[in-house]
Amino acid sequence: MKVMRGYLMDVFVYGLINSVVLILMAAGFSIVYGISRLPNFAHGALYVLTGFVTWIFLRKLGLNYPAAIVLALAITALIGAAIYQFFLVRIRGMEASEIIGSFAVGLAIMESLRWRGFIGHGFAIPVFIDGSIGIGGVIVDFQRIIIVGAGLAITVSLWVFTHYTKIGLSLRGIAQDERAAMMLGIDSDWTAVISLALGSALAGLGAVMILPMGNINVEAGYNVLIFAVAVCILGGLGSWTGTLIASFLLGYAQTLTVAYIAFHYQMVVAMAAILLTLILKPSGLLGRQKELEERV
Amino acid sequence: MKITKLFTLLVTLWIVSMCVVPSVDAQPIVLGVPSARAFAEGKTTEEATILAVEEINSLGGVLVGNVRRPLKVEIMDTRDLEAGVPVSEALLVVERLILDKGAHFIVGGPIRTEAYNAAMDLFFKHKKISIVNTGVYSPGTAKRIADNYDKYKYCFRVTGHVGVELLMELPEILKMLQEKHKLDTAFVMVQDVAHARASGDIAAKKFPEWGWKVVGHEIFPTGATDFSLALSKTKKEKAQFIWLWADMPETAILINQWYDLKVPALIAGYFRPAQDPGFWEITKGKCAYIIAAVLSAGNVPTKVTPWAARYVDAYIKRWKTEPTGYSTASAYMSVYVLKDAIERAGTLDTDAVLAALEKTDLKGGVYGRIRFDPKSHDIIRKLDPEEGALGCWFQWQDGKRVAIFPPKVATGTLKIPPWMM
Repeated sequence: MKVMRGYLMDVFVYGLINSVVLILMAAGFSIVYGISRLPNFAHGALYVLTGFVTWIFLRKLGLNYPAAIVLALAITALIGAAIYQFFLVRIRGMEASEIIGSFAVGLAIMESLRWRGFIGHGFAIPVFIDGSIGIGGVIVDFQRIIIVGAGLAITVSLWVFTHYTKIGLSLRGIAQDERAAMMLGIDSDWTAVISLALGSALAGLGAVMILPMGNINVEAGYNVLIFAVAVCILGGLGSWTGTLIASFLLGYAQTLTVAYIAFHYQMVVAMAAILLTLILKPSGLLGRQKELEERV
Repeated sequence: MKITKLFTLLVTLWIVSMCVVPSVDAQPIVLGVPSARAFAEGKTTEEATILAVEEINSLGGVLVGNVRRPLKVEIMDTRDLEAGVPVSEALLVVERLILDKGAHFIVGGPIRTEAYNAAMDLFFKHKKISIVNTGVYSPGTAKRIADNYDKYKYCFRVTGHVGVELLMELPEILKMLQEKHKLDTAFVMVQDVAHARASGDIAAKKFPEWGWKVVGHEIFPTGATDFSLALSKTKKEKAQFIWLWADMPETAILINQWYDLKVPALIAGYFRPAQDPGFWEITKGKCAYIIAAVLSAGNVPTKVTPWAARYVDAYIKRWKTEPTGYSTASAYMSVYVLKDAIERAGTLDTDAVLAALEKTDLKGGVYGRIRFDPKSHDIIRKLDPEEGALGCWFQWQDGKRVAIFPPKVATGTLKIPPWMM
């Protein structure tokens, strides 16, 4: 009990940070699926691509940091849109093909990065503000505090965007009932392009927030994809609220595992979440697409 | 008359030069280099191999009998460090290097131990000599050769194995920390991969025998991006020393957090990203005071031998960076070791070169004297470059990798982080 009390504040603070990191990793994947029912398995590749593009703008072209980030996000959004426009549009509706196709695009991006020499440990982008402060006796660096702020900002911005803008409302319309939305003049393909662009930019935003804590490496793309899928399956594919709840559940479960069980079971938590959800409630916490089958 | 004399002189010089310098138009000696090309280990090994080959070729090549033959490098990607790629891929590459590319000798990988151990059967099948110069750091490989010499005698290793760092060098460093800096409490923190877990287990078992108290043992998963709780544990358990063993890039996050949390424990061990010259920039200097092993002296700038200094200059000139990683020096020396053996054998015949390699005694190499154990074909590692090959531990100080151990290789002394004082 004494030991537990000793780490309680650490668990609270770092559990919160881990949860927001998971939101940033999963937000793009969740948005794309929620709007267009497209499982974007190139999500992890777009994440690392943004990191490397930012690095190129910053280190090779000498742009200032904000400009490098904005341009990198714009490029990632364009690539996301292009993935739909030139590739996924041809296989839309064929779920297995969508998964395999988008994963293939992701592989192509990551292997191309390796091929162009982005290997090794020498790629990093700087933290926004260096230094750290104590929160209730727990020392936290500023980058992680910024991550929490960014996570909250993204959540609020997405809510405002989807509730108060014309494009956002049309995206919600497509997400709620595609046929009805099309009857009202909303172009399904156009919203899919927008959702892929938005989702890709969100993956990139996660990258520019998270990657400054360490370095950029191609392999991170696979890990990010696994976490994004774990969060979305647990929360329910397509449910933004489910994604938020699942991020907090997984984030705190992982932190508690590190604090009180063993560090190396941290990854098992994500895998166990996927397995248990698929066994007990395949639609996830707030997902709907399988509820009827589950009831049957 | 003058023209006749000049002509006679030129003809004489030509005849003399033909006698002294053998022809360089001979067929090249093909070095097959199996390499994990998508990884830094593969890239740096290739660079060092190419540097050695270019140097040798610029001086006329390798003297085989009385013919100088140039070296030719054939590199192929084993992909053996990539997740999910089966060992059979690496074996196919090794076999292609031998059969398609006509490799006379294999230098380099495969890098992963299980892939190399499987390839050993191919070296036997094709009677090809292999000098492994990167990865494959398990004592088990040497034991395998010693236990089945007739079959695996074609395999040589110019790096050594993990037992050298853990059981020969580490106790000396710990003794120094105990005596000079009064540290005696350790926390073991290793990555969840076989070689790192084994290192953690050995450390947890051996530290008490060496007079150290172990107050924690954490195994973190590959890909972990937050180490704050584990580092908090080291603080709460009052550890003064963290034994770290990992090869994942995310180790940079651990180091950043260690600095930000001002954990009052010195970090030492093997962590791959920290070995690179760019790590200071990556961590914005937060890696100051960490101590890392680079397996062979020469992988960081030292002046342990005149050749070591020349090698660093040549590497910087050719590749615009200091030697990096843990296997540049060994990759570079492996080519010279082979050249030396071929020249002594006077032929490319496998048995003759094998016998010459067994008798290798190359003094003054980049990381000291190079000899092989006659049974295991493992390089003989010592703490003195006159006696054997030298390992190296360095500490990040003011943006530089400063060699601090063994004393013969040291270019500076160990420093303790100010927040530990």
